[in-house]
Amino acid sequence: MADQIKVALAQISCKVGDKAHNIHKMARYIAKARKENVELIIFPELSLTGYTMRDMAYELAESIPGPSTKKMEKLARQNNIYVIYGMVEKTLGTGAVLHNTAVFTSPRGTIGRYRKTYLPTHSIFEEKRYFRQGHEIPVYSTDIGKIGIVICYDIFFPETARLLRLKGAELIACISASPAIRRNYFETLTIARALENTVYLAYVNLAGIEDGLQFWGGSRLTTPNGKIAVQAKYDDEDLACALIDYKDLERIETFIPTLRDLRPELFTELEKLAKEL
Amino acid sequence: MQLTPDILKIDLEETKQKIARFIEDYVAKTKAEGIVLGMSGGIDSSTNAALNALAIGGNKTYGLLMPEKETENKIDINHAKQVARQFKIRTTLIDITKILDSLYETIPDFEPSNLKAKGNLKARTRMVLLYYYANSRDLIVAGSSDKSESMIGYYTKFGDIAADITPQQDLYKTQVRQLAKYIGIAEAIIRKPSTPALWPGQTAEEEIGTSYEKLDLVLYGFEHFMETSRIAEQLLLPIKTVESIKRRWLNAEHKRRMPLTPKLAFRTVGKDFRLPYDNV
Repeated sequence: MADQIKVALAQISCKVGDKAHNIHKMARYIAKARKENVELIIFPELSLTGYTMRDMAYELAESIPGPSTKKMEKLARQNNIYVIYGMVEKTLGTGAVLHNTAVFTSPRGTIGRYRKTYLPTHSIFEEKRYFRQGHEIPVYSTDIGKIGIVICYDIFFPETARLLRLKGAELIACISASPAIRRNYFETLTIARALENTVYLAYVNLAGIEDGLQFWGGSRLTTPNGKIAVQAKYDDEDLACALIDYKDLERIETFIPTLRDLRPELFTELEKLAKEL
Repeated sequence: MQLTPDILKIDLEETKQKIARFIEDYVAKTKAEGIVLGMSGGIDSSTNAALNALAIGGNKTYGLLMPEKETENKIDINHAKQVARQFKIRTTLIDITKILDSLYETIPDFEPSNLKAKGNLKARTRMVLLYYYANSRDLIVAGSSDKSESMIGYYTKFGDIAADITPQQDLYKTQVRQLAKYIGIAEAIIRKPSTPALWPGQTAEEEIGTSYEKLDLVLYGFEHFMETSRIAEQLLLPIKTVESIKRRWLNAEHKRRMPLTPKLAFRTVGKDFRLPYDNV
């Protein structure tokens, strides 16, 4: 397994409902990243379809594997690159059970998928109307490191990142579609999740405007000691690349020993109180 | 939360940028030739005109000045022209008196003493002209409604509220004033009393019954789920005043939504057809 990898935060804007257009754009970004010797490229939440598709989710949904995952696999294979992107997943064997899913594809095919655990249904968000929540938070052991994925609102819940870290994740990819008024929240939470878990956190947000909602971009790689290794532009499309050095984890864990100091007995109480809420 | 004037302060540069991006994006996505908007010389329409011109250029922004004899005010017309000059907006002046006179004469039981019904004809006539220009020149209508007036329904249904986009509708009136000053709208326009000009001598604050400074804080309280009694207590307002504003806000929902229809079928327009604006 590599000690160092180069990661690209591909902050694109999407054309709502136009998968062909969005795949074409992702292909361009993948080619560009490959020229920079990037090994892992990460696209925003629902990058295959755009975020604000509303009822079109039903016709845009695809199973995994499906036509779009095959196209993305081909791109990963041709460019010898790992890719994380977002799509509406229709579960196999059901009529209309959808998930807001992140797909993780390697040069040798799709490694796995992560289904969003926390679906925001407040303010302008209506995800529970369309999606079923996910029930697994996996970590993937790959040639480019142990990698876990969360999606946007998941990051408000420290247990998601903590679980990934305790399962061995060295890098957490957080793919997102966050509108502008929420920038402060994510800029705070990305640093907090990285720091409290001493883990690399690659946050990749959507850019551009959908349905009048302005996605603020600002994708960033946060290091395990809470520093911003690289940050993409605000508002506009951008490709930000940075080096991840997994050897830093041990050094930082020694300096910020949050994992050593964990108190498991508190989780029991947390579970009890969360159930009673 | 304390309802003080500071709470309504906004990041002016960021707000300007966001609104400009919004306008630019919408015009680009709809492949329109530009924007058409009404210019009364008041603060809302002047700010709206300036923001649109800043976003897509004055040469793509068309201002219609639409005075009529009963409420015509030379100062307002001059203010509109001043804004147009300042932001290089192309304007056309259409005196709508003849159209209105024709309507008054044509309606069999026209009642001139019904100020509301008569006044709304003026706002709706302006809407008709804006959409004429929008259709004939492939333009988008940008409405100038602000959040204060939209919340309490202080506008004409299918009149001044009718537009394709409303760039400043999420800004309270006092926030529009801040932004107006920031982008260089003249103090005389910002300071003069707001009026919908539906009849002579009409001023907004007198009709609403409170100043915009107070109204905006009351509405901000409602926006943030505050109880009526707490808002009244903090702003030293009679509870009845705050309750009356709340009633106005709630009762105006019919002006903000698609017309109500009985649910008869599988999916219903305006209810559970939920489609994106940005469509392929």
